[in-house]
Amino acid sequence: MTREDFISQVEREQESLRGFLLALCCGNKNDADDLAQDTLVKAYLSSAGYQDKGRFRSWLFKIAHNTFLNHKASLRTTESIDEARTLVSNAAADDSFEHQDLYLALRTLPPKERSAITLFYLSEYSIREIATITDTSEDAVKKQLSRGRDRLREQLKY
Amino acid sequence: MVKDKALEELFLAQTPHFDDNVDFIARLTKRLDAVEYVKQHQEATLRRYKLAMVAAFIVGIVSGAVTMAFVLSMPADVPLFTLSVESSILLWIAENSRLIATTAIALLMSFGIMSIISNVQDILALRHKSIHIIETYGN
Repeated sequence: MTREDFISQVEREQESLRGFLLALCCGNKNDADDLAQDTLVKAYLSSAGYQDKGRFRSWLFKIAHNTFLNHKASLRTTESIDEARTLVSNAAADDSFEHQDLYLALRTLPPKERSAITLFYLSEYSIREIATITDTSEDAVKKQLSRGRDRLREQLKY
Repeated sequence: MVKDKALEELFLAQTPHFDDNVDFIARLTKRLDAVEYVKQHQEATLRRYKLAMVAAFIVGIVSGAVTMAFVLSMPADVPLFTLSVESSILLWIAENSRLIATTAIALLMSFGIMSIISNVQDILALRHKSIHIIETYGN
């Protein structure tokens, strides 16, 4: 894949990728965009070996999912402080976030559940596709979706 | 698995729209340029190192072989050098100078080859490490 091909494919898929990462980052646009950039650089570096034609978006999402998990793992020690800070800033910026409740509810989910729920409901992937993207079994994805849905219901009280 | 309708609607309603797509791609292009620059610079440096190593290896082997051939072509019964000192050790060295010189050259060549191999391994490890860093951090 040439650089031009890569950029043109990215131009088509960037909104869905950024939307996916925005949901994973619970509305934190700066973090989501940084992760999206990291994802795309990684994808570019390994684009020479990309052969799965027609599945560019799934391939990008797979890299994005792994980048997000690595990012979460690297932040594990400071996460509680960051979370507290973001919660305060979210509360202060209520007006600028249209769907604050959903993002706050997503924040309560573990990263893998959050990823599965986002891929299923926002990106509309099937369970099999999610299993491929997240490198887990279909049963594991079903469990994550079921647990995640119950938690979201509880948080959102609908 | 059946989708939770309420949850689906919530997610669909929050589908984000970005108005900075052009800026995002411009930022990405800049980063890709930086990555390309680092990659090319790194590959050129590694190529230079490798060439230097190969040159050192060949020069070492050739000069070692020539010196060894020269030493071995000398008459066997005539020592390489003579020491006009009355000492049994120095006399022994002078008598066996041919053998000693050959052994010293062979040892030097072995040491040189081992250090070159070690350097090549270091360069390859450095390359793998830098590729990993680029992939992890992007720039």
